[in-house]
Amino acid sequence: MRILVVGGGTGGTILANNLARRLSAEIRTRKVWLTMLSASDKHMYQPGLLYVAFGQMTPDQLYRDQASLLESCIDFHVDPVEQFELDQNQVRTKSGKIHQYDILVIATGSRIVPEQIPGLTEGAETFYTEASAVKMFKRLREFQGGKVAVVVGVPHKCPIAPVEVMFSLHDYFKARGIRDKVTMKYHYPIGRIHTIQNVAKWAKPEFDRLGIEYETLFNVKEVDVKNNIVKSEEGTETAYDLLIAIPPHKGMEVIENNNLGQGGWIPTDRYKLTMNGHDNVYVLGDTTNLPVSKTGSAAHFEAEVAAENIAAIVKIGTPVRDYDGKVYCFIEAGHDRATYAMFNYLNPPDLKAPTKPMHWFKMAYNQMYWTSVRGLL
Amino acid sequence: MTTQTETPIDATANDDLQRLVEFAQLVTAARDALSDDMVTRLSGAISEGMNLLDRLTRNEGLMRLLQVLDRDESQYLLIALSEAIHATSKDIAASPPATGGLGCMLRVARDPGAQEGVRLLAVLGQHLSHSLREQHRRGG
Repeated sequence: MRILVVGGGTGGTILANNLARRLSAEIRTRKVWLTMLSASDKHMYQPGLLYVAFGQMTPDQLYRDQASLLESCIDFHVDPVEQFELDQNQVRTKSGKIHQYDILVIATGSRIVPEQIPGLTEGAETFYTEASAVKMFKRLREFQGGKVAVVVGVPHKCPIAPVEVMFSLHDYFKARGIRDKVTMKYHYPIGRIHTIQNVAKWAKPEFDRLGIEYETLFNVKEVDVKNNIVKSEEGTETAYDLLIAIPPHKGMEVIENNNLGQGGWIPTDRYKLTMNGHDNVYVLGDTTNLPVSKTGSAAHFEAEVAAENIAAIVKIGTPVRDYDGKVYCFIEAGHDRATYAMFNYLNPPDLKAPTKPMHWFKMAYNQMYWTSVRGLL
Repeated sequence: MTTQTETPIDATANDDLQRLVEFAQLVTAARDALSDDMVTRLSGAISEGMNLLDRLTRNEGLMRLLQVLDRDESQYLLIALSEAIHATSKDIAASPPATGGLGCMLRVARDPGAQEGVRLLAVLGQHLSHSLREQHRRGG
């Protein structure tokens, strides 16, 4: 049996390593071939970008060689897929190679598309790429006071990021002794300050306590870079001295180019994690159109379920488990306190008061991530 | 009477409370002593240690080697090996560089110690090639 994993991010790597462990005997005796195709030979710990934007981490701390994270029995190639030929159970790569499969896993992730909002690329700081996170930190270092506006594009990766950045900004300015010279305003596209109701319920009094202003129903329409004004679809506008944006995201171009899903999100069975209409194609992480957060955590829990099911298919001919929508998100509530949100399709999160030990748990997880992607945690 | 029956209970409760206070002080002290950097370094070391341990314990060849080295009779070999490493280090440091040539080869070949060494390596090589052939024949 040939298992092909397309994408070497969190979901793809955890799934491949998990499968390599579960099917080690079958791979050794050449009953199973496990191949991974990725666009890069490097693996980035993406949640670390927020720390880079606040000078708490440097970019080199976010990377590992992808090959060093994979079990040795995984046939790894840096050769991104350009064409998915699902009817023929094969893909074509950039180098022109054809890889056939019996089971395909698509975990290509997502990308930022700030260009969808006029003026956003030029006018706003972001932290969703290494370069932009470093740039944002330099800008923050130079900032001496004024109006800071934070706007949120949709859909976007890491739903907790907008509130985290507010708390981090508050602590950053406070540590520099300029908090009283800064006004902070948060803008969110729906009718409350966070899409997850209990997060909104928890964050609102925190914002009030910290003196953070907020405006809901603010869908970013454009940024007037010349006059430093950000305008909403709803007709309101905010003047700023420093604009920070959570940029809108789309799925990868290769998904759109192959008509696998609108916006680059593949229609996926919420329990089986298979692509609708293709029982031998699994979809993981940001690439799905599932109603769960686009986070590494969701990709992780999905990868565990998909790996268990694929291994069961190899061994007994049928999948054994359903994905319940589990997501576990750390929430940094500043530079030294954190809490977490755990939820699934049926149960909303129940947020606890932020604590320092929880912040350390997050700090520890930043390191333990490398153990996690190797399929150990 | 009332005082007599209540005193031991109060004392126990106070004792428990005191222990709780001490434990809380310990936690607070640890909390105050730690920093983000320390937690990061510590968890990084634990993470890498876990990965290493995982790789080692799933390495079939290494596990077999450890089992063999753990046997009583292997202890002689290990002790001999460690002594040989120590002696070799001293001998090499004390002896002049080899002059080369056939004469030198003959002198080495005539040395009973060198002959013992060659015999040891030959026996090791014989067992090694036999085991390798067997494993390839069985397909791992």
